[in-house]
Amino acid sequence: MKLYKKEGNIVQILSFPNETVEKGDYLLVEDAEAGRSLIVQVIDVQFASIPGVLEELLRSLPDGGELIQGEDIDPLEIAPHITYIQDASLLFCKIRATVESENLSPSSSWLPSRSRSAIKKLPLPTLLKLAKINGKLPIVLGGTKDSALLTIDASSLDGRLNIITGKKETGKSHLSKLLMVNLVGYKATVVVFDLNGEYISLGMTADGKRNACFDKIHVLTPSQNFKLALKQLNLHVLLGILIHALHLPGTSAREFRRIWQSLKERGNITLHELGETIRNWNCNQQVRDALFSRYHALVNSGFFTDNVAEATLLEECLLKAREEGGAIVINLRNTSSIDRQIVVEYVLGKLVESLTSWKLKAVFLFAEEAHLYLRETYWDDIVTRMRHFGIFTTFITNQPDTIRENIYRQADNIFLFNFTNEHDLDVVSRAARVDAETVRSIARDLPPHYCLALGKVVRDFPMVAKVRALDVKTMGETRLFFKDMN
Amino acid sequence: MDTALPQQFIELSLHSLKQVQNQSFQLNQHSFQQTNTFEEHAQALSLRLEPISLKPIHKESIVAAVDTSTIKIGETTQGIVIAVRGASVWKQGRNYRYMRLGPFIFHLTEENKREVYNALEKAYFSSLSEQNHQSVPNLLQMPTRIAGLLERWMQMMLSKTINKGIILFDGSLTSGTADMPVGRMKEILGTARKRSSIVLAFSKMTNLRVNGYLITDFLPEDTPPYLLETEGLKLKPPMVLLGDVYVAKLTKGNCAFRLDIDKEVPIEQRIGAVEKLLGNDLLTQSYPETLRLAHILCTFTANEVIAMQHFITRKHGLQIINRPDMHRLLFGPFGKGESWS
Repeated sequence: MKLYKKEGNIVQILSFPNETVEKGDYLLVEDAEAGRSLIVQVIDVQFASIPGVLEELLRSLPDGGELIQGEDIDPLEIAPHITYIQDASLLFCKIRATVESENLSPSSSWLPSRSRSAIKKLPLPTLLKLAKINGKLPIVLGGTKDSALLTIDASSLDGRLNIITGKKETGKSHLSKLLMVNLVGYKATVVVFDLNGEYISLGMTADGKRNACFDKIHVLTPSQNFKLALKQLNLHVLLGILIHALHLPGTSAREFRRIWQSLKERGNITLHELGETIRNWNCNQQVRDALFSRYHALVNSGFFTDNVAEATLLEECLLKAREEGGAIVINLRNTSSIDRQIVVEYVLGKLVESLTSWKLKAVFLFAEEAHLYLRETYWDDIVTRMRHFGIFTTFITNQPDTIRENIYRQADNIFLFNFTNEHDLDVVSRAARVDAETVRSIARDLPPHYCLALGKVVRDFPMVAKVRALDVKTMGETRLFFKDMN
Repeated sequence: MDTALPQQFIELSLHSLKQVQNQSFQLNQHSFQQTNTFEEHAQALSLRLEPISLKPIHKESIVAAVDTSTIKIGETTQGIVIAVRGASVWKQGRNYRYMRLGPFIFHLTEENKREVYNALEKAYFSSLSEQNHQSVPNLLQMPTRIAGLLERWMQMMLSKTINKGIILFDGSLTSGTADMPVGRMKEILGTARKRSSIVLAFSKMTNLRVNGYLITDFLPEDTPPYLLETEGLKLKPPMVLLGDVYVAKLTKGNCAFRLDIDKEVPIEQRIGAVEKLLGNDLLTQSYPETLRLAHILCTFTANEVIAMQHFITRKHGLQIINRPDMHRLLFGPFGKGESWS
């Protein structure tokens, strides 16, 4: 390989057919005399612009488009040299760091010698060692192309905002399960908003047996094993549900506050009593109607009960998880849009409450397709306010444009699966820790189950790995019509 | 096919390259493909303006063509490194087939140029030509001389193997030059005639003029295909014209070419040969496809030049140096470099 050109922080390297280099590979450009080396990553491979190639190709295609038949007597065996030159490729590489005396710096302000520099492939294990991408809490993400293991440190997810995105069926949920299981293994508290019931068997092996974290997985299905008694609720949590999930206007909310105080004074906070109080409350008819419609929404959700014995306390599960680690899976499958918002509003309110009062240290929140249940104002809340309370969110989506731009800008880690759509790639490349060229070039060619890890988990050295298999029962598979016919 | 010459080409090529082991090697700054032109004096030339109309004869005849090419690929401290390649193309039925010989790479120096050339000439033609005795070739003329030798050999091979066909040459049938000895050309034409084949030589460029106009520009309004006959072309000795010169306009459009047809062939057969060419080959801009393919297949592309330079550095340990281009150095953007033809 030969150093050819440098433009900005992109170097172009000439590579010959016997040097197999692919997109995503790391190269070390060593300038022995300067005592420094550049670490560069291949982000695109193109044919080298060899003069005369077009003529070479054209003359093999005469009129009619069929290859002309003939014999080449090439006694000096020049033909292999011709193909060797023709097949030379130009590697477009992004400068990632400079190595000087085994120390890494992000500098790209110097230029290695074009004539003297030796260029070789930088094996990923060496890079991981150089960049110190390991730690005390390893999570093996998967295998890299050169059969090394890509191991990240669980602490690099701690206090961070993460995004897992990619096309359908590329392995996003699989990766989020892998991260969850490992976090739970390190005694972390994990809460998952499970839209399709994909995480409910996290405690089972593929053949349906209990796995090591079976006891740490708490699946809460709203209106089934996850119900609330009104008296267990704080007013501000309930108001949150009414205002944000059920869009109760301000005037009506003020009346509701009074009704709640009245019920509290009477010591009789039940659904039935709440309905009766609204009916008999001395207020404007429109306010009453507004309150009644919300009341019926609460009742119809099936999420609320007057039977305290029937109610499950989220707080209990959280406290259980606090001790030994655990995942609380909020199963939102078969839940209507309104009910989903009620549940999410309650869970988030409860989490903030528990974290504010230091009942919980921190929570890793995994939110799949969050735009389907997260209200507008929560996005900013999650990345700014809630992070300070100790809610560290991982968004999982196959529609990257549903996540707001400011979330991308503040994301610390991005796990990117295959995308072919330019618009999707454009959206992801807005992330502050990512350069657009890398995202566009590498993500487009990622095979299924291969993930491009970007950000702090890989110390800003974008790396591709095939996400390792997980012995967990697969759920959330698409129901197929022709499945049994084939 | 008799492979004596290619074998000799290989041996001499390898032998000459051994002399350049571990020398420094200056990449050629200006590479030129072979062009073969020489001055023909044609004071008494005239052109008959009554065209000979042609009708394609579709009776199946083989059409074959040969062309060679040479290129300078670099310089050493002692001489030059050149490459030579030849291509024969023939059309039988609807299909074109080809045979390419080479590239052969030679390291030519003042010391070995005569030895290399004579060895090649003797290897096939058994004797040295009359012109060989008279002049020592200039080193810069050597590439064309060697390519000429390969071309003659390939032409001879075609004339020996093709029966009742049309053999197309690139250039004219003018002989008596160092590249084209009279005896050798006569032998090629005679061999072709014995096998009932006819040689047609197409020149892409001509310097023959009538009343100051190039003969290929002086065309009547008649509908092509047709031939225009020339008269009175006399060449200065030792040059001899072994063919009669025509202007061939074989398709519509602006192109016409000088066409030389073997003098010894009766006029009717000459016309018949061109008509058979029209019926058996594709013609684009008055030029036969078979000859066009022969030219395309032997021409060196820039990619091949780089590959040959790569071959020399890898196999023979030549170190590439980059000597400054004096024209560029002295004249900047006005320095277009030396031209060599």
